[in-house]
Amino acid sequence: MKLISRRQVLGGVGAAITAGTGLMPRRARAAGELTVWWTQGFYKAENDAVIAWMADWEKRNNTKVNLTIMNGPDVITKLIAGMQVGDVPDVVHTVTGDRFLVPRAAWNDQLEDVSDVVESQKTEFLETALNSARLHNAKQKKSSYYAVPTKASSLLNEVWLPLLEEAGFAATDMPGTHDRFYDFFQIVQDKLRAKGKRIFGLGYSMATKEADSGNLFHQFLVAYGGVGIVTPDGKLNIDDPTVRQAATTTLERLTTPFKKGYVPPGAINWGDVDNNNAFFARQIVMTPNATISIAAAQMDKPDLYYKEIITRGVPMDNDGKPVASVLAISPTIIPKGSKNVDAAKALLRDFIQPANMNAYLKETRARYLPVMASIVKNDPYWTDPKDPHRPVAVDMGLIKPTVPWWMSYNPAYSAVLSEQIWAQAEANITQSNMTAEQATEEAAKRIKQLFEQYQK
Amino acid sequence: MTAQRRRRAIDSIGVSLLSAVLLLWSLLPIYNIIRVSVQEKEEVLSTSVYPIAPSPHAFSVVFHQAFWLLETFWNQMGNSFFIGVGVALLTLTIGSLTSFTISRMRIRSGWMLTNAALLTYVIPMSFLAIPFYGIMGKYGLTNNPLALIAVEVTFATPYAIFIFQQYGASIPLELDEAARIDGASPLQIFLRIYLPLMAPALVAVGTYALLLSWNEYLYAFLLLSGGKVVTVPVALGKFLVGDEAPWNYLMAAAIIYAIPPLLIYYGFRRKMSGGLTMGGVKG
Repeated sequence: MKLISRRQVLGGVGAAITAGTGLMPRRARAAGELTVWWTQGFYKAENDAVIAWMADWEKRNNTKVNLTIMNGPDVITKLIAGMQVGDVPDVVHTVTGDRFLVPRAAWNDQLEDVSDVVESQKTEFLETALNSARLHNAKQKKSSYYAVPTKASSLLNEVWLPLLEEAGFAATDMPGTHDRFYDFFQIVQDKLRAKGKRIFGLGYSMATKEADSGNLFHQFLVAYGGVGIVTPDGKLNIDDPTVRQAATTTLERLTTPFKKGYVPPGAINWGDVDNNNAFFARQIVMTPNATISIAAAQMDKPDLYYKEIITRGVPMDNDGKPVASVLAISPTIIPKGSKNVDAAKALLRDFIQPANMNAYLKETRARYLPVMASIVKNDPYWTDPKDPHRPVAVDMGLIKPTVPWWMSYNPAYSAVLSEQIWAQAEANITQSNMTAEQATEEAAKRIKQLFEQYQK
Repeated sequence: MTAQRRRRAIDSIGVSLLSAVLLLWSLLPIYNIIRVSVQEKEEVLSTSVYPIAPSPHAFSVVFHQAFWLLETFWNQMGNSFFIGVGVALLTLTIGSLTSFTISRMRIRSGWMLTNAALLTYVIPMSFLAIPFYGIMGKYGLTNNPLALIAVEVTFATPYAIFIFQQYGASIPLELDEAARIDGASPLQIFLRIYLPLMAPALVAVGTYALLLSWNEYLYAFLLLSGGKVVTVPVALGKFLVGDEAPWNYLMAAAIIYAIPPLLIYYGFRRKMSGGLTMGGVKG
């Protein structure tokens, strides 16, 4: 059979390369179009609200919007991939981006400065919202607004009233101070177990993934006096005895009920939605949750929404003093490399008009809170006393004291959350039999290393 | 004799017990998928180990796309099918042509190509996700099924070349020689002699390539966006992040999605196992 010569092989390879190169300059997007990635809602109304709003904006502005709705963790993964290779969408809304991505992306100069967008409503935004959007860019050596605050959330406690009643308690029996409040559900579990019900008292998220375990840990940390873990000037303060003790106590208080069987064993692998599902399945009496999504998903079942599901704010600390809520601000960003920055900014400027934002959040069944106090002040919907859930969330997130997440002070804390250092510390206690002190020490060691990478 | 019989009986009981455990272990997940798919949403997370009131409701919902996360299910099924078939055909074409060229036309240093192709498996698929994402972006192929087809073909082809090389070695070269003497061109030898004799290997590799892309999640999620463009695995992933997580719909959709590869597998089973084993007994 005829042999193919080296020249022929090389010629073929050359032809293939030439053909490939011919494809190179193609562009996927037409000029004037906007590509938007948005975090998928926990229920249909959330998606419908953003689809409707984008369609309306598209019509009003004669600019096509290619909207893609993705689940929360996927938005972040895909955006990181896009930023690595310089192929990014024009607008991204990521619900947990304030914790897992945005502060470090701003630090690395991967986001557009959106100060002009934020300034257009600056007087309306909550101070915590502005603080969490004002981030440091290490390459350009400046701090500026790199995110548009979009919606807020803080930790709440969801409780099944019928399960309390079955255990012989009423809603008014729930104690008001921190330790007594959470211990109460262990008593409820004991009573239910005595009746032969295999139900867990506490639905603590303890997984080394997603946001819920971090939300729970940090709210406990504040309740035990650890709010100063990072100071407003960005310094790590983890060796402060008060902070260290708060971290150790938090770890102990979260892991001991787990080890004693008051938390479902599967909680060490719960994604953000899994405590909700365990709650709906009535496997747990209560669960701490960062929004009122559990109740809101049941809004069309009045018995559940109005009578059976209770939303409680965070309890007072053990001395009976109010505890500040850790307020998360979900950001919307324009990644650097966007092909249509002007249109992206125009879209965001329109979106954050208080009336538009209010309409959008109401359409989502108010799972998240507005980041503008005036919205709550001017629309009785948010404080409707007949609603058993919304006003509680408003009270915790917008009226009572709040603190921002610590990456507002230093993006290193975003790396702490991404690495799930505190959830890993919990796992070290529950799975590897470390003491709370040892687990805190190990976590502190890693946190210090991360902070060394983010020196201004 | 009695002791020998007793030992045999013990062995037999042991084997039966082990088989029963293995059978249970293998079938339990499948049983659970079916159980959940015929339960109502409220019953799914109950402690019941069997469906109390089995119903085909979830299958009906999937068929009629009557749930918000399944609104474009058949569209996504079509995407999976198009990509799967595309990957299988391209892998077979490239793999068979390459192996024919190397082994039957005896190009110089052809072995290097075979070995180099296999070397690609040293790097895990997931490590190449970002570079591939960048390449597809440069070619303007993000959010285009062709991007996923290209990636999957890249990963399936080295295995295809290897299997075809091994299998092709069992086909006597004398057949080619005889055809050549009769005046057949290389293309005719490829089409009329090589391909028909390679049928078992082609079926095995084609099924492998189809299944590889059928079950792909990482690249499908990275390279495709939007409800109408994504494949079924990516769409089903959305079930895992919502308060309305009807596991019965998810399982029903998973069962429906598993049917095409099952049909293909059992349809070509005999030929496929022949193809896979022949590659390993080159002699």
